Amino acid sequence: MARLADPGRTMVTRVSFACVRAIAALILLSVTFQSAAAHAAEPVTRDRRVAAGLAIVPGAALHGSGHYALGQKKTALALLITEGVGLALLIGGVSTELASGNSRELAGPALASTVLGSGLVLASFGADLYGTLATDGGAVDLLPRAPPQLESEFGYRYVADPHFSYGHFVVESLTLRQGDFRFTPSAWFASNASNVRYRVEAAYRMVGLEPGELGKLDDHLEIVLGGMHQRYLPERFQRSGLELTLDTRFDFCHIGETLRGSFIDLALGYGVAKVTYDIQGVPVPADTDDLLLARVGLGVALRGPAAAGSEARVYYDHRHDDYAAGFLTPGRISGVFGKFGADLRWFFRPRLGLLLDAQVGSAVVAGFSLLLREGKLRTQGALP
Amino acid sequence: MSRRLERMVWSSLFMTLGCTRPAEERTRRDLDVGRAESAAFDVEVTSGLAAVRGLSQKELALWLSAPSVELSFLVRETSPLELHVENAMAALVLTDLDLGGVLPLTSGADATKKSWQLTLTPGSRHFRLAAPGADENGHFRFALMSDVQEAIDRIEDVYRVINAEPELDFLLGAGDLTEGGEVDQLSRFQRELATLDLPYYTTLGNHELGERPPAYQDWFGRANFQFVHRGVYFTLLDSASATIDPLAQDWLDTWLANGREAVHVVAMHIPPFDPVGTRNAGFASRAEAAALVAKLAESGVDLTLYGHIHSHYSFRNAGIPAFISGGGGATPERVDEIGRHFMVFEIDAKRGVLSSEVVRVDARTQIDQNE
Repeated sequence: MARLADPGRTMVTRVSFACVRAIAALILLSVTFQSAAAHAAEPVTRDRRVAAGLAIVPGAALHGSGHYALGQKKTALALLITEGVGLALLIGGVSTELASGNSRELAGPALASTVLGSGLVLASFGADLYGTLATDGGAVDLLPRAPPQLESEFGYRYVADPHFSYGHFVVESLTLRQGDFRFTPSAWFASNASNVRYRVEAAYRMVGLEPGELGKLDDHLEIVLGGMHQRYLPERFQRSGLELTLDTRFDFCHIGETLRGSFIDLALGYGVAKVTYDIQGVPVPADTDDLLLARVGLGVALRGPAAAGSEARVYYDHRHDDYAAGFLTPGRISGVFGKFGADLRWFFRPRLGLLLDAQVGSAVVAGFSLLLREGKLRTQGALP
Repeated sequence: MSRRLERMVWSSLFMTLGCTRPAEERTRRDLDVGRAESAAFDVEVTSGLAAVRGLSQKELALWLSAPSVELSFLVRETSPLELHVENAMAALVLTDLDLGGVLPLTSGADATKKSWQLTLTPGSRHFRLAAPGADENGHFRFALMSDVQEAIDRIEDVYRVINAEPELDFLLGAGDLTEGGEVDQLSRFQRELATLDLPYYTTLGNHELGERPPAYQDWFGRANFQFVHRGVYFTLLDSASATIDPLAQDWLDTWLANGREAVHVVAMHIPPFDPVGTRNAGFASRAEAAALVAKLAESGVDLTLYGHIHSHYSFRNAGIPAFISGGGGATPERVDEIGRHFMVFEIDAKRGVLSSEVVRVDARTQIDQNE
């Protein structure tokens, strides 16, 4: 009996992993800033092009190869150790997931280990490449930073999610800092009034600069208590949550001078939420939901016509409960990933800047905001 | 620019940047399931409730996805037809809806594989495959078993225990029949089903997505469908990509409306919410998950069934009883020690879900061996 012909593809799925495109665009922009500041003495003597090549091959496997070629052996070793720690966390996380059959008791810690391990592996590779390519000889360090006492954001986002009717959003946030404390309320409003999200963060800075306190490093460690309330009016539910996160930024200059101006962001936390349903005439009990919060970002400070605090960053964020939510794939593994994103903060005036932001999860989110900041800022002049 | 056009432009631009509809292609392929044409006739299975597994001028082979199926033929020339049906209920009969009367079986009494000999005359012809009493509100039992994957070599044990369960009408599946959805694996799964005395109505899981486009629909039919059995509505959805495609969501709206006044069971592979949220073996978007659950609650769904997580969980979403049963043998959750299992539900078209029971296969096999 004849088999039926394969009906074939009725429509090509609009699939492309072009979050990479958005991220690349932002990286390109940051590189443009870098090239605008071609200058300065190089702290190293070897050929950077060769080193950059070696940072890729064999550097993709042996992180630090680029720095080793530059003669920066201590930095190379530190990057290799970072890669090793990352791999250990990654392999430990994945093998725990596999060996335990993704057990309910172990899945959360195993996933956290996997995310942070992957982040360290990517960060050590990225840092090696950055250190071999950055040519400002640490000039970014000439400009001390201090967190602003007040920073506000007002902007626009487009959310492309085929499941929801919203699209255009107005975004507002305000950050107030006093001593070691930070308070950040924010809100997203859908232009068609179908959705609104309010969020509040209260943070205590355990390590790092306070407003008005000038320093050369951008390290910090904060414990963040967050609260969130989001209303989905046409879909008739609301989500309200609390979360606790340990949020840190580590300046790579601790590893080596050539890495000045690059950093890694790491965050790990836990969130719990209540989902309530607003169904007319039907009493529906609320659900509780919890989630692992893990984020890894890799960034660089901007040079050129940019004031202190200007930076570009690519990141992975494991949370699944916001507009971008988790990344989807057409293959076997879908749902477990969080989103990928990139942002760029460019202060073209000491107190005035622009934020560009793009995220790809199960929805695509992109937009911009105007940034205003106030406080004791050392922002005279751009970098040389 | 009109609001609609503006939205379309923005959406197209941004959605090409990301993979926001990974299930779109296979959801559209659902529309092709159950349709075929030969030189002598066209055939269409109503609502795509059977996959056309083979077609020639004289033979038609179907794999049923539901207990009751209607067939429409547009016949161009008189021709004899051998109708072969697999995955059928034991009591299934073929009724000629145009002429009336039940057609005699040529083979397969009391089996899941049956054949009939028909003569198709030119024009529009309609037949129905259904067990006697399938349309009457009733009381029955069915089992749920999902997530076989790499454990196909041991599936016979599971089927043996299912076969020993009394008075089951069918086995329901929530996906992950195979390790990768390849043709040889689907073929092997079908061969193993020969040892199961019941039909297995199922949707697909993420492990059927190893090939693009997935071969699953050519073998076992639609990924999104609804059928009614003895007055109880069963809706199976494709959540294998941790989302439900908007097109399937549109179909779901109709299916939920169909079952609003009846007892309604909804099954899919990946649950909207993983009861262990930090693991996130649920939908990629918690917002989409909550929107779906709200929709199910508003439509009075009585029971939700899932696979994907290789253990047994019993919980509620928006008050709807929910069960995860991924006990077909794929690498189990180690710590809970539930292992291979399936579930048995007793349901009544008037009174709803009366009972649920977990049957642990290895424990039952051990008892049987001891006896």
